[in-house]
Amino acid sequence: MSYFSNITNAITTLVDGMKVTMGYFVRAREHVTLQYPDEVWPIPTRNIGVGELDSYNTIRSKLVVDFEDCIGCKACERACPVDCIHIETFKAGPEEDIGTTKNGTKIKLRVTSFTIDMSECMFCDLCTPPCPEDCIRMTPDYQFVSNDNVKLDVTPEERWRDRGHLIYQFSKVSPEERAQRGAEAEKEAAAKAAALEAKRIAAEKAAAAKAAEEAAQKEVTEETQEVNPSQNMVEAAAAPEVTPPQAPPGPPTQAKPPVEAGMERVDLPMETSAVPENPVDKPVEKPAFTETPAEPETSTDTNDASKGETENG
Amino acid sequence: MIQLLANWILSFDMLSGMGASVAWGLSLFIVAALIFVFVAVNAIVLVYIERKVSAFMQVRLGPMRVGKYGTLQTVADALKLLQKEDIIPKMADKVLFVVGPWVILVASVVTFAAIPFSDTLLAANMNIGLFYVVSISSIVVLGIVMAGWASNNKWSLYGAMRSAAQIISYEIPVGITLIAVVAVVGSLNLQTIIEAQGGTGNLFHWIPIPLPNWFIFHSPFLFMAAFVYLIGATAEINRVPFDIPESESELVAGFMTEFSGLRWALFFLSEYANATLVAFLVSIVFLGGWQSPFSSYQGTQIGFSIITIFALFWTIFVQGKTKRLSVYPLGLSLVITIAAWLFPGFAIWMASPGIFWMLMKVAGIIFLLMWFRWTFPRLRVDQLMYLSWKVILPLSLINLMGVAIWMWLTGEIQF
Repeated sequence: MSYFSNITNAITTLVDGMKVTMGYFVRAREHVTLQYPDEVWPIPTRNIGVGELDSYNTIRSKLVVDFEDCIGCKACERACPVDCIHIETFKAGPEEDIGTTKNGTKIKLRVTSFTIDMSECMFCDLCTPPCPEDCIRMTPDYQFVSNDNVKLDVTPEERWRDRGHLIYQFSKVSPEERAQRGAEAEKEAAAKAAALEAKRIAAEKAAAAKAAEEAAQKEVTEETQEVNPSQNMVEAAAAPEVTPPQAPPGPPTQAKPPVEAGMERVDLPMETSAVPENPVDKPVEKPAFTETPAEPETSTDTNDASKGETENG
Repeated sequence: MIQLLANWILSFDMLSGMGASVAWGLSLFIVAALIFVFVAVNAIVLVYIERKVSAFMQVRLGPMRVGKYGTLQTVADALKLLQKEDIIPKMADKVLFVVGPWVILVASVVTFAAIPFSDTLLAANMNIGLFYVVSISSIVVLGIVMAGWASNNKWSLYGAMRSAAQIISYEIPVGITLIAVVAVVGSLNLQTIIEAQGGTGNLFHWIPIPLPNWFIFHSPFLFMAAFVYLIGATAEINRVPFDIPESESELVAGFMTEFSGLRWALFFLSEYANATLVAFLVSIVFLGGWQSPFSSYQGTQIGFSIITIFALFWTIFVQGKTKRLSVYPLGLSLVITIAAWLFPGFAIWMASPGIFWMLMKVAGIIFLLMWFRWTFPRLRVDQLMYLSWKVILPLSLINLMGVAIWMWLTGEIQF
């Protein structure tokens, strides 16, 4: 009898299955998923508790910089807990007019590079309040897809992640001008260093001459025990001139401490934003697929540039 | 039809110079080309429909990008397949590898020569039409074995062997089921079989429900035989749930594994040609072929009124419970009913036999096959053989004997 119950069972279960598929066939449109590129979900509107309701009543997503208003003050770079903003500035020439912001502030620094690494950004919104010109802000645009594979002007160190399309360059300064500015700054620094070197050599020569003279005089004073006041005056004049030898450009300076900036602003224990103290330790934390072993730290590089710039200024 | 075409060609003054035999040969060629075009276009349309049907059953939308609602998707696919590199494996048996797909395609296409599309539209009116179709379609297995053996690939060989075993197993119940119908009609001519199903009668001869005289309503045995034939035919054309010859999860693509480009397209073409052939045979043998379900124009009006009432109840009591009300079936039947009542010409056209009804039935059966395909899980080899030898074959034998007894009881035949 199991033979017939088998057949009956088979028929009933098959009919059940056919009912299910027909039910979906008839009502497929009702259950089908969102056709993403053609349709998108409406952006949820809610108050995130910062700023005006109408301007900030939205989700926090892609960071955007109104570059025309950026004065290159690097407040956002310092505020960023994850170091995803990198700014490179050069001082404008004396007769160069870069323009003014919408608040009427005169822009004094030429921002040659303003990159935001969206693959590192954690959408904390800490960079927007420090901005004196209100030019960096978060937008509700959450779609990071793009149709073109844009080659952005980012440093090779930033490229190691191979997420070039997530590093957004906001500076409208052309790479040529950026290179030119960099070269000019370098030349200036080199000239300054050369001048200092020349001064130092002169001072050394003077010191050597003085020493020789002193040695010669010692022999004399041993005999005469007389003090030449003019010799003393020379020594006194030369002593402040003898500066320690100028450090070569690009010493391994410590990374800028952005932690403090964030701490001051938000009264929270910032364990999340704890940056490793030693930048050398950083590559170890990175994923294992890094092919560049112990590459120079990005932050130090930009720091060097900024340091050079401030020295030049 | 070939003779008619030849006469028509000769009726032109310009062409009458050619001999009768030349005209006959020319019309033969034209008809063959027409059948091939039908098969090819049919495959392209059916692939699109199948993808859409499967998508809806799996809560997807299917092809949506090429053309409006993806209507040109299969055309693009066909163009892609034609451009593809034609690879013949190094260790393959080159002759069989090249010939195999063509054998399958020819065996599939040639069967359409005997298929009547309407009461006048058929290539060859054979008195052994049914026998011809069943026997020629069995040649497909030869091509499958050739292709599988020639590929010199274990998956291909497994697939071919399974296919051969399966087709030979199911050939027997299918043949016996068809013999039951032939026993009722007394003829193997497909046109005669269809003509025998004209008119309206009671369901199962005694139950007073007026239904067309189709063989599926002839007796409980032929009703069962229709399903037995459908199951057996599904197995014969290697469709899901009987697709173990090309079961993707076990044998990469079965006997098609090593084929690419045009040759692979030929397999696909023949697959859908076979599905269409099965649908044609089911509608011819059990559903009255080109006969209209309505015997007269009053029948059309009353029949569609009944269908509209059913659609109304379905819409209210079945669709009303779901979130979104689907009113298309009700609307469509309502429109046809109103048209049938307002325009007697339309009702008469609906009641008259023709290619429309044939294609409607074929479309319905093909949809049923697709419904099977996207619902049922695949059978194991032992289950397949169990079904064939222990269920389908005894059932077909019972059908054959039952039909004979039924005809004696109803007085259709006397001794």
